[in-house]
Amino acid sequence: MEPAAPTRDLWGWVDEQVGRRQFLLKAGWAFFWVFLGGWLLSNLRFLFPNVLYEPTLSFKAGKPEEYPLGVSEKWKKTQRAWIIRRDDGFYCFWARCTHLGCTPNWFEAEGRFKCPCHGSNFNRNGDVIAGPAPKPLWRCAIRLADDGQLQIDKARLENRAGAREQGDFFLPYQSA
Amino acid sequence: MAEGRPSFKQYLKKTKIWKSIYRHDFTDTPKTRLQRVFGNVFLHLQPVRVAKDAIRVTYTWGLGGISFYLFLVLVVTGILLMFYYRPASVLAYQDIKDLSFAVTLGQLLRNMHRWAAHLMVVAVIFHMVRVFLTGAYKPPREYNWVVGVLLLVMTLFLSYTGYLLPWDQLALWAVTVGAQMAANSPILGNEGPFRLPFITTSNDARFGLIGGTVIGDATLIRFYVLHCIAVPFIFSIFLCVHLWRVRKDSFSKQTGEKVDVWPHLVSREFLAALLVTVILFAWSLLMNAPLEAEANLNVTPNPSKAPWYFVGLQELLVYFDPWIAGVVLPTLIIIGLVAIPYVDINPKGVGSWARMRWKRLGPLPIWYPEERPFAVSVFMLGIVMWFVLIFIGTYCRGPNWEWYWPWEEWSHRRITKFTLKDIPNVWGGLLLMSYFLLGSPIPQKVKAVLAQRAGPKAPVLASAALHLGLGILMSVALFVPLLTAADPGYPDRSRYPTLFESLGHAVNAPVMMALFQFVERAGPAAGYSLIAAIIGVLGLALGGLGMIFAKLKDRMYDELGLIKYTIVMSLLLMMMGVLAKIVLRLLFGVKYLISIPTFSFNI
Repeated sequence: MEPAAPTRDLWGWVDEQVGRRQFLLKAGWAFFWVFLGGWLLSNLRFLFPNVLYEPTLSFKAGKPEEYPLGVSEKWKKTQRAWIIRRDDGFYCFWARCTHLGCTPNWFEAEGRFKCPCHGSNFNRNGDVIAGPAPKPLWRCAIRLADDGQLQIDKARLENRAGAREQGDFFLPYQSA
Repeated sequence: MAEGRPSFKQYLKKTKIWKSIYRHDFTDTPKTRLQRVFGNVFLHLQPVRVAKDAIRVTYTWGLGGISFYLFLVLVVTGILLMFYYRPASVLAYQDIKDLSFAVTLGQLLRNMHRWAAHLMVVAVIFHMVRVFLTGAYKPPREYNWVVGVLLLVMTLFLSYTGYLLPWDQLALWAVTVGAQMAANSPILGNEGPFRLPFITTSNDARFGLIGGTVIGDATLIRFYVLHCIAVPFIFSIFLCVHLWRVRKDSFSKQTGEKVDVWPHLVSREFLAALLVTVILFAWSLLMNAPLEAEANLNVTPNPSKAPWYFVGLQELLVYFDPWIAGVVLPTLIIIGLVAIPYVDINPKGVGSWARMRWKRLGPLPIWYPEERPFAVSVFMLGIVMWFVLIFIGTYCRGPNWEWYWPWEEWSHRRITKFTLKDIPNVWGGLLLMSYFLLGSPIPQKVKAVLAQRAGPKAPVLASAALHLGLGILMSVALFVPLLTAADPGYPDRSRYPTLFESLGHAVNAPVMMALFQFVERAGPAAGYSLIAAIIGVLGLALGGLGMIFAKLKDRMYDELGLIKYTIVMSLLLMMMGVLAKIVLRLLFGVKYLISIPTFSFNI
């Protein structure tokens, strides 16, 4: 049985390859740069706060019967949302352009939401008709709260055709 | 003054205190002229003697010095403004109001700070153009050009961060848009293409920039620190390097006898600073810095325009997805500028303004930069394009960012039915591919082989086949889908079943409208044969354009080698591609050439 040669001869091998002094020097510098780089990079994490002091994204929007058919701009200034009532129910848009985050305006005559920053146009379903926006408008989760008011949650969003017209993102409500 | 009795000044100059401060006397002798420069830490930035032609006003227009002076003005006025400003969202706007209405000289200082910032952006851009046109970036000054580009970027970043501080509507929405571009950066942005799987709104690039998921107090303090301390700190370091390298690399112009810097250069610098100060004061007395309503995170002013130096970028964002217009293109512009001194191997044109000469190109007279035709033309085209975008954004865009001619009155009730359509990916891909293939050269070696194997005319024929083929391919790849493809939005998002009909009825695609109406009126047979002819002519025109530049391309390839040629040609094609995409958008109503929504990848 022979002993494992590499472990016994490691220093010898290093000495042969780079020289002991050179090795220590290189190891020292490597440590210096890795430590410095690591410390500087870790400070990037410092820039990402762990606690946010931001307003809640959920709000109550009154009773459904208060809304006429069509697009309601009632909550745009305070909650940045449009509530849309159709014959068969409610859905809610987050009033934030999917292009670069400006607040579009609703133009009833054309049936379009138009963004003032880069000119994106969306139709009643939130789909992009013109302008640079890459995605449809986001719809918020909407449900009836226990007290009979509409409960909107802007933290839960959906914009894929098919998924956005059902479940939490559409509130069936029969008009009288 | 009476004889024999020394004046107070003469007495003062003999005191120990005076002598401890000033090491030399001020009589105008050759010796003191030198002493004034190297005996003073600030003037020491300059050499003691300099070539006469280098300090002619018409050579540099003093633009670098003026930029530096404006930076100093901005530091001083900025420090003063800081005494009254508190970076918190409930206080900031009120503090700016106080500065404007309640603080003595507050309005003037704020105006000076704002207008000096605008002037500095202008001065820095013009300085760059001057350095380019006088070839002053060429060896051995390549590195200092790079530092200069970084200083330009930092100047713009300083403007951007300062913009938020008044916390008014203008500020908030400019920064909203700017920050959202970070969210669209590839890989690291939550809404960008190829985002990493763990990236969300609460850890992406935008989050890091604004310190939260919405713009608020965290953003304000962040931008405040960046604007007042972090960026000026880094800026100053680079500024030192920049000025020091000017000394070390020597001036680009060395002709003319040497003259003393004191008084010849120093007096010019003083006069330039004086002139800038007068302009700045007049401007600040006549015009107040804008301040809109207090920032409202829910309501955007209509239209919402960025400050003029970013309006070009804002306009660019209309034509491209944010990750391209907001991240990729700016990065490429910076990389392209940095690359200039390393890919430009033409040694001519250093130390004098680009020499221009009238020349005939066919029937057209053109103003032709003699020594550096390619470099000067391409660079100036880029600069002009940037300012054209700024012009469009400033004067041709109204409510909802719709097109209004400068003489048209804006209307918030104008009924418009804009429509944009995507070209199917296969066709769009083909179009893009053939466009970029237009950049491929036929190197000398290949030409030789071709001539040897297939006769002396083979290289010319190959070039013709390559360019005309690609031209026809591009024309076909553009028109065929626009004429024949079905509209995938029908019936939900579109009233018509085909792209041709949809765009033919749109008001924002003049070419498609004209073709559609022609087909309607003249009947399909005549209509489509005319369109086929247009496709042919356009294809041949594009190919012919390629052929005109074929010789230049081939020569450039042989001179630059593969790597430099690829860099230059890709940058050039991308710059022209921006122009092409703008034309496609404005005349054809085309939105995307390639669209893969799953990866948020749209071109």
